[in-house]
Amino acid sequence: MKTVKEISWNEDKALIELVGEIDIYNAPQIRKVLLELLQKTEQDIVINLAQLRYIDSTGLGLLVGALKRVRERNGKIVLQYPQAPVRKLLDITGLDQVFVVEEDK
Amino acid sequence: MTLLANSALKDDINLENEKVTLVVPPLPAYVSVVRLSMAAVANRCGFTVEEIEDIKIAVAEAVTNAIVHCCECTPEGVTIQSNFNAEQNELTISISDQGPGFEATSVKLPDFEFAEEGGLGLFIIRSLMDEVELRTKPGQGTQVVMKKKLGDKGCQ
Repeated sequence: MKTVKEISWNEDKALIELVGEIDIYNAPQIRKVLLELLQKTEQDIVINLAQLRYIDSTGLGLLVGALKRVRERNGKIVLQYPQAPVRKLLDITGLDQVFVVEEDK
Repeated sequence: MTLLANSALKDDINLENEKVTLVVPPLPAYVSVVRLSMAAVANRCGFTVEEIEDIKIAVAEAVTNAIVHCCECTPEGVTIQSNFNAEQNELTISISDQGPGFEATSVKLPDFEFAEEGGLGLFIIRSLMDEVELRTKPGQGTQVVMKKKLGDKGCQ
């Protein structure tokens, strides 16, 4: 199953939707997609996590790596709608304070 | 008939001597195999859905660390052992590799304000499990032993 479901753009943001599970096995592919996206656009990145069931430290690490690059150009990454297991990891690692996290409505 | 049913039931919840050993090649594709196997073990012990999720993540982090640091390991790969202590209502899982090992005191907390990408695994394991012991020395491989207590709701 593809983990990166969709990439789209609107006026000021690039949107990317991650689904399923991210671990050390598929993290390199997702890192590649994110880096390509960062090269293509100067916009802020919105990552939709509504359908992401599982993420590990490798997955969080690649998000942090992307944030590092986005910050170099004073941009931001918004993590949208993390579900309970992903939200818990963001909380315990303190990454909820580093990224902009948008809750489910 | 009743006696048989009772003894069958008793046998079913007597997990004291139920040890599970899993040996996997040090390859990324096997992390999910271990994750799902240990989730099934935790489920059998009676942990809640949230506790099973914690155990799954902690074990996967330890196996991921072993694979990352064990790329030139001996063919024995990574060994995962679980043991449920029914008296103490506690599940112990150990993850061992024959990798290069390291100085346990050199483990630092990651600093995300500076957007560091690594060093998260052990921190996550310690946050999710009740007890974590790291046994390692340079040249002697690494063993992570983690314990999770069963809450009041489990093992009915």
